[in-house]
Amino acid sequence: MAAVNFDKVVKSFGAFTAVHGLDLAIDEGEFVSLLGPSGCGKTTTLRMLAGLEFPTSGEISIGDRVVNDLAPGERDIAMVFQSYALYPHMTVAQNIAYPLKKRGVPKSERGAMVQKTAELLQLTELLSRKPRQLSGGQQQRVALGRALVRDPKVFLLDEPLSNLDAKLRGYMRVELVELHRRLGRTMVYVTHDQLEAMTMSDRIAVMEGGRLQQFAPPTEVYRAPANRFVAGFIGTPAMNLIDGEIRQSGGTWQFHAPGLTLDCPPLLDSARPGPACLGIRPEGVVFGSGPIEGVVQVVEQTGHENIVVARIGADMRLTGRVGAERVWQAGETVRCGIDIDRAHIFAAGAAGERLNRPGLRPVEAPAVIKAAR
Amino acid sequence: MQASQTVLERRYAALGLLLIAPTVLVFCAVIVYPLVSAIYLSLFSIFTPTLQGEWVGLDNYRTLLAKDEFWSSLVNNLIWTVGTLTLQILLGVGMALVLHQNIWFRSLARSLILFPYFISTVVAVLVWKWLFNDLYGILNHLMLAVGMIDMPVDYLGTMPNAMISVILVGAWKFFPFVVIAVLARLQTIPDALYEAARIDGAGPIARFFDVTLPQLRDVLVVIIMLRAIWDFKEFDMIYLLTGGGPITSTQTLPLLVYKEAFALNQMGMAAAYAVVMMLIMLVFMIVYIRRTRQEADT
Repeated sequence: MAAVNFDKVVKSFGAFTAVHGLDLAIDEGEFVSLLGPSGCGKTTTLRMLAGLEFPTSGEISIGDRVVNDLAPGERDIAMVFQSYALYPHMTVAQNIAYPLKKRGVPKSERGAMVQKTAELLQLTELLSRKPRQLSGGQQQRVALGRALVRDPKVFLLDEPLSNLDAKLRGYMRVELVELHRRLGRTMVYVTHDQLEAMTMSDRIAVMEGGRLQQFAPPTEVYRAPANRFVAGFIGTPAMNLIDGEIRQSGGTWQFHAPGLTLDCPPLLDSARPGPACLGIRPEGVVFGSGPIEGVVQVVEQTGHENIVVARIGADMRLTGRVGAERVWQAGETVRCGIDIDRAHIFAAGAAGERLNRPGLRPVEAPAVIKAAR
Repeated sequence: MQASQTVLERRYAALGLLLIAPTVLVFCAVIVYPLVSAIYLSLFSIFTPTLQGEWVGLDNYRTLLAKDEFWSSLVNNLIWTVGTLTLQILLGVGMALVLHQNIWFRSLARSLILFPYFISTVVAVLVWKWLFNDLYGILNHLMLAVGMIDMPVDYLGTMPNAMISVILVGAWKFFPFVVIAVLARLQTIPDALYEAARIDGAGPIARFFDVTLPQLRDVLVVIIMLRAIWDFKEFDMIYLLTGGGPITSTQTLPLLVYKEAFALNQMGMAAAYAVVMMLIMLVFMIVYIRRTRQEADT
């Protein structure tokens, strides 16, 4: 078990820079997800930690040892690949025993260790099978077994659930969390699936364009996104982002957009009047009452709730999460409002930083909705 | 519903027969007829120029099995096949591994490596004969120049030099086939397997034996089977290089068949040799077919 530290790590492939000066300190025993869209540098980061890619500059350390110059096999890590990468000609038992064999563990001890791992992952019945005779979920467990058997300092998992069907993925998520709790090992998990990151991690490192956007626990990433990118990336349906500007009159800040004026949530001292973006999660949008008038465009029924998309004015859309008891029809006129205590204000631009003070707790009492057309 | 399905099925079947018929006809004309004809001819004593013959039954086979020349040719055939095939595999796999790396001029090297395989056998043999020539050959010249030998070596006129030379030229001529097939397979081995092996602590040699070689096994079996069959019946290269000499030291069964048919004018005897050769190759073929079937099943 060891902490992992990235210190100003840069990785370039020719003229293209995949990771820009990454600083990331992962605590001992922590489950950290590297989350981001394709090409954000999360896999490159993991591969640098594994020793499969070499950083262009900066230092990577595991525990108190800088590992830049260590081969993957010398870093005392284990990795689960997206494709599982099981050795196809070896049986399950041989696959699990392989890292032990390569590290010179005597044959007499290997058997017991493989057996113990197989029991942990319910693979005992499958030990003599070849990988091709296993289902996707079973292969996945063998890949985990090969990583677990050696008891490494850090586990690296590269989108290990992405090849599984939705049901199995849900099951394996729980299994992995349970495994992490039991082993208490440092785990670094790469995923583009925010549900996986949100449900499993102690902290999430959200990445975009090779840069770390936010590194915080799931609740904080959700409720206090550091910038507009994180706000838009985390959450399904995505946060409503409305471009406009903030103005200061007297002591109060107001947000203005075409057909919309709102009092801002408490802003940071650094806020300056000018172009800005209002972010409100669908659960912060109130449908059925409020000062804004819109027309229902699409209703997505998920069973326990409805996702309603309404058009406000000419080109503004507002997505709301509402109870399933009221059925909305497309084309219906609807009045809606914005719960300002759940709203965020971001600086202008695709990665504009948050300008409001973080409010982590959802507000219990109904908020005052001030809006005008 | 059931009836219409049957009609449709019949229509498909008729179309299938129609489409497959030309192939079957050509196959019968160029494979089945010569095969049956060879077996038939082997039961006669035939004078080649007139093709006149008389029925001798299995006499040709009795004579053949009692002949030292048959057995010595068979031994030569096996030495040639095993020798050249081993070199082809070693060279081919080695070269494929090199060409799989990110080396400079990889595309050019990949094209050039096919050169021996594409060049006409006659041209290749002529070039090699000049290289081997004891008076003017560059091989002797270079070896003399660096002091490896005091006298020019007779590469094709003495034993075991002649067999070694034939085996080497065969390896040079046919190893590109191994390179292509192995290279194609190498490119399909997922990188993740090598990466997993590196993380598991495997060095380069362990990765070769634990990842590369097991992944190549299936394709190597197919290559070995195919090349064994092709090398076993190789005629033109050996005939042009040594003509089976010195005396009969490099005479393999195909050369013996040719000699019987067109030098000794014994077409029936030649057919009997050919049939025996076919039976020997049948063993390879059965292994090959079984192997490909197994692969299809898995």
